[in-house]
Amino acid sequence: MEKVQIETLTGVIDKKMNRQLKQYIDICARCAICKDACHQYVGTGDFKYLPARRAELIRQIYKKYFDKAGRFVPALYEAREPDDNLLDELYDSTYACTGCRRCMFYCPFSIDTAWILSVAKAILIAAGRGNEMLGQLADAAIFKGDNAAMFEGVMLSGFEDISEEVRAITGNPEHKVHVNKEGADILYVALAGAHSIRPAAVIFEEAGESWTISMFEAANYGFFYGDTEKARLITKRYIDEAKRLGVKEIVVPECGHAYRVAEFFYEAWSKEPMPFKVSHILEKVDDYIKSGRITVDRDKIEGKVTYHDPCQLGRNGGKFEQPRDIVKAVTSNFVDLTPNRAEQWCCGGGGGIVAMEEFKDVRLKSGAKKVEQLKASGASVLACPCENCRLQIEELNDVHGLGLEIWQVIDLVVAAMPLPGNQESATPGGEDAEA
Amino acid sequence: METYLWITSVWGVYLALAVFIVGIALRIYQWATTPKSPVRLGMFPKPATKSGRFFKMLKDTLIAPHSAKIEPTMWIFSMIFHVAALAAFVGHLRILGEYPILPELLGGEHAMNNFAAYAGSIAGTLMLIGVVFWIARRTFGPYKNLSVPEDYLLLALLFGVIIMGDHLRFVYGGFIHADTYQEWFKSLLAFKPMFPEKLLSGNVGWSLGTHMLFTDLLLMYFPFSKLVHTIGSFAANYVRSE
Repeated sequence: MEKVQIETLTGVIDKKMNRQLKQYIDICARCAICKDACHQYVGTGDFKYLPARRAELIRQIYKKYFDKAGRFVPALYEAREPDDNLLDELYDSTYACTGCRRCMFYCPFSIDTAWILSVAKAILIAAGRGNEMLGQLADAAIFKGDNAAMFEGVMLSGFEDISEEVRAITGNPEHKVHVNKEGADILYVALAGAHSIRPAAVIFEEAGESWTISMFEAANYGFFYGDTEKARLITKRYIDEAKRLGVKEIVVPECGHAYRVAEFFYEAWSKEPMPFKVSHILEKVDDYIKSGRITVDRDKIEGKVTYHDPCQLGRNGGKFEQPRDIVKAVTSNFVDLTPNRAEQWCCGGGGGIVAMEEFKDVRLKSGAKKVEQLKASGASVLACPCENCRLQIEELNDVHGLGLEIWQVIDLVVAAMPLPGNQESATPGGEDAEA
Repeated sequence: METYLWITSVWGVYLALAVFIVGIALRIYQWATTPKSPVRLGMFPKPATKSGRFFKMLKDTLIAPHSAKIEPTMWIFSMIFHVAALAAFVGHLRILGEYPILPELLGGEHAMNNFAAYAGSIAGTLMLIGVVFWIARRTFGPYKNLSVPEDYLLLALLFGVIIMGDHLRFVYGGFIHADTYQEWFKSLLAFKPMFPEKLLSGNVGWSLGTHMLFTDLLLMYFPFSKLVHTIGSFAANYVRSE
């Protein structure tokens, strides 16, 4: 590889360097305890998916250019320059990683492999090897932010259609999707597609919430792509909107990474404190049910119901109990998956992997543990918040013939509410999903 | 033999300690002066209070309960090694001076030496078991593929230190006790190095010299190797509940 190119790549590491990264690289003992924590390694047995191996590639470059001992005796650490072989493997192991951080959970030193891989993504992008699909999706979102007026007409008529559906469900002619409502308490940043707006609108309206819908979606492909500047711009779209409308709180949809981005990453990217409270929609719904702002009838839904903790919401977001409490409020026949909560197996669909066709094979294989868990639970209904998880588990459901009915949690809630017209439109899995 | 002892157990010790102390200080300085990660890297569940976080960090670092759950075999052997290494370290402190109270409690100097012989033998054997397990584990499958020369070098050095330590314990443990080593080590600390007669008699010197040779090399390599996890793991585990 040419000297100039190497300098570019090492420059990326230099820019991304921080204390935690340095410590992770310095202390990993390559004990491989992370081996059995990774759903991809367990599902495929492929060495390149072993978490410590993924991190090892970054360490090899680090040792070669940033560590005195590594420069002095490179052979001792297998330190090497980032050649094509290394970058090829790095691409596969990095973009395949779903960022579930299950390896970090079991690591005796709590090494955050996903954090090390954020450097890997920056290196790949600098080398012109960033994933094209994720990059394009990120750019499209930024374009939409820059040209919001261009999309407004379509969005407004879409919201109008959804308002019709909401009124049909609740039977209340006043109910609607609020748009551009200044001074509302809540800005709800949904996903693209009516499925994440309609049930939320029904719940907000029934709860008498003061809310307004965002013109932008919460999904952040800049985050998956690994470009923090793109990721920041994508998030900034709704932050600016929230400032303009003067809301008090931003509510993100069931989507897992959207919550993590808003709650944990945006401050670091923008270098300013998050000016709003960030809540996950299931926190709000749980609160509405517990405080009696909405009522749900238990056991309208038939069969044994289980719940999948999306990694970004559970282990990485800390929302273990609220979603469970909601599910338990709509069914008395609840069973947990084993293991669950912080130890939950990643379904294999996170990190943007469902958008990358080239990883389909490893993605489906890596769902083996999830399939095993779902079968063992004996459940016939699965409540699953995160969109990526749902897409993956729906595919696993088909491939393995699990016969599961897969629901968004807010759809389950709407279906359980004593409303005149909820039966027709509350369908499992958000079948009208556009993205 | 005396030359060998002077190289490994006098000048080698001075050099090793100097490299070790400076190296570790540099490593910590490097960590401390690199800016913190801008993103909070914690994961859940995590304690709400600072003291809760601190105790969780201690528990995660010293007991590693999560690792125990996912790979019990590795955990058991690693615990065996680390606990035994700690015990061996505590035992070695006798070369700085006799423990207070303990000899009286045990019933005199003879009993103390007896106790040290048993405790040292057990610790030395357990450490050896731990290291042999690790070496064996790195000879096959994904563990082998993941290993780099650094891993084998460290295991070889540890193996050398332990084998020669055990040799001293099992072969000469009956008649050379802490007081003899104490004379030698204290003379090092006073910068007036000398070897007591007992250490120069027979082949004792060859054994001690080799034990010290491996120890010197291990100490010198320590700050530049993954062994800095002895310090770094506390910091990394603290970030877990950030």
